[in-house]
Amino acid sequence: MSSDAVTSASPPGADAGVPAVEMHGISKRFGDVVAVDGIDLQIGDGEFFALLGPSGCGKTTTLRMIAGLDIPSEGRLAIFGEEVASWPPDQRPVNTVFQAYALFPHMTVEQNIAFGLQMRGIRGPDADRQVAEATALVQLEGMEHRRPSQLSGGQQQRVALARALVNHPKVLLLDEPLGALDLKLRQEMQVELKALQREVGITFVFVTHDQEEALAMSDRVGVMSEGRLLQVGTPAEVYEHPANRFVADFIGRTNLLEGITESPSAVRLDAGAVVAAANGLAAGSAAALSVRPEQVRLHRRGETPAGAPCLDGVITDATYLGHAFVYTVAIGPTASASGTNTGERAATITARSETGSAALAAGEPVSVSWSPEATTVVAD
Amino acid sequence: MSSLRRAKPAAAQSTDAGPDTPPSLTPAELAAQRRKRRTGTLIATPGALYLLIFFVVPLGLITVYSFATRTSTGRTSLSGWNLNSYERIADDVILGIIARSAWLAFLTTVLCLLVAYPFAYYLATRPARLRARLLVLVMIPFWTNGLVRIFAIRFLLGSNGPASALSEAMGFGTFRILFTPTAVVLGMVYGFLTFMVLPLYVALERMDWRLVEAARDLYASGAKAFWRVTVPLTRSGIVAGCVLVFVPSFGSYVVPEILGGAKTLLIGSYVARQFQAARNWPLGAALSVLVIVAMLVAVAINQRNSANAERTQGVTR
Repeated sequence: MSSDAVTSASPPGADAGVPAVEMHGISKRFGDVVAVDGIDLQIGDGEFFALLGPSGCGKTTTLRMIAGLDIPSEGRLAIFGEEVASWPPDQRPVNTVFQAYALFPHMTVEQNIAFGLQMRGIRGPDADRQVAEATALVQLEGMEHRRPSQLSGGQQQRVALARALVNHPKVLLLDEPLGALDLKLRQEMQVELKALQREVGITFVFVTHDQEEALAMSDRVGVMSEGRLLQVGTPAEVYEHPANRFVADFIGRTNLLEGITESPSAVRLDAGAVVAAANGLAAGSAAALSVRPEQVRLHRRGETPAGAPCLDGVITDATYLGHAFVYTVAIGPTASASGTNTGERAATITARSETGSAALAAGEPVSVSWSPEATTVVAD
Repeated sequence: MSSLRRAKPAAAQSTDAGPDTPPSLTPAELAAQRRKRRTGTLIATPGALYLLIFFVVPLGLITVYSFATRTSTGRTSLSGWNLNSYERIADDVILGIIARSAWLAFLTTVLCLLVAYPFAYYLATRPARLRARLLVLVMIPFWTNGLVRIFAIRFLLGSNGPASALSEAMGFGTFRILFTPTAVVLGMVYGFLTFMVLPLYVALERMDWRLVEAARDLYASGAKAFWRVTVPLTRSGIVAGCVLVFVPSFGSYVVPEILGGAKTLLIGSYVARQFQAARNWPLGAALSVLVIVAMLVAVAINQRNSANAERTQGVTR
């Protein structure tokens, strides 16, 4: 379940022919630092693809290599079947929306948008028409003669989009395009950007460190860490079946319960109890059981349903979030009064429950359970 | 796509909120304000006095003298104010000297720009630690005695000097550059290069190179990105450097005196001659006023330029 999730997803456009972006063994070194370490990736035509990872994971370098702003140290890179790894950026059929936009401060909005057309020798009424179209596409009519410094962050973001889209690139690269916006505007722009992508039908490759944003917007997500591509899949695949410990921990919140595999279908947790959990690992390997907080069910001690794996614990913290409670439950020998837990190490589990249910207080003895299908076993 | 409609009024609001009407101040606040103002005046006084005595007063005297009359004995009579000296500037010889000075200053400025821009570009794109060291190297000649440097050039360019010897050894024959306008321009380029390098360096160092990447991404070749993005965005440095080189070149005295021949009389030397050998102080003073006015115009251009640069680029930085 966990190992084949890496390769199970095929891009929507993969069967339509040539992939928009194709990378084989792409690496990038800066001196002694390996920024990107052997990436293999195919991005389909028309796909909205997110490269997701913490800062310094190599996602921006990967994007810059597609743009031609960095040249790979190793590997093959093709855009719609053409080997472009050594091409300069101005020869590539891609455009970029830069982090912090990089709008030309000495040009008006109109001049910024027309720049790419001018550089390709498109001038006159044809250029004017295309600039007007792009301006309308991002709803910036009336702002044509302003300078970037006279625009709000959201408007600058639109200029950056129009400046790239006016060239009808085969692939649009976006480097944390929403990072500089405040939360509310960012959420609105997520919806807009997704709608815009459907409207123009261009392949979008999107770099972000915000996992919620990646899940909300993209057709597929590639999770990166320390220069490596750890998992590629649809948002649901990556969230529900993380390929390893890092992905499980990085995407959303999860409880990672350390343990050792007992059989292909059971894990002995360090906190005690053997629980049913399918895994493709050899018996006796160190692994962790990932359970999402919203999948954890809380019961008053003694009201436990039969059949489900069950751990006893004590609530150590209850946080009210308005729409839900978040409970922290201490599990293990120290918390266990009944002696059912035989393990030696303690663990904590975070659980979420809707506000409507009866509130539990800190110190209350509880049992936690989950359905085995809701868990994933991850190795290092 | 509703957020734009929302964004417009939001932007309008933020500009409305700008100028607050100052609330009336309490007596304690007013007293504090007065104290602050008094301290400021006190601190500025020594500098102001110095400038008054050694800059404003001589400048005033020069201006007064430019309207005075030269007596037949070469003295200056401080009576019978007239514009004779200014009228004499229209003389063909003097206009020729002014034109030649301006032309050589222009050549010096252009050469300085051509030499300094690539150099400043190189400096500004090095790693920070190397940058600091290279900058010291640029400053060393600037800290060295100017006269010594110019005499060194005189030796270098002389018909018995190393440059000529090298040219002869390579079969091009000896050359005569010393005491020509070429030598003056070369000397002035050398003397004033630092004034060009530093403002260019400052402008290039502040340059946001991501904008060049954006231009490359938008199909601009390296050269086009340079002309369309780097040059306009470093314009303030270019203008400042040109003003800083043109002004001293135009009024230059030492370099033309040492490297120029009798035929390359420039305005600086001509003014000096009026005060010394020719004993025509009013004419010298009138020409000095002219040079100062030219300088003020240049400074005004520079001021406007940097104000413009701030307005167009300030906020996105």
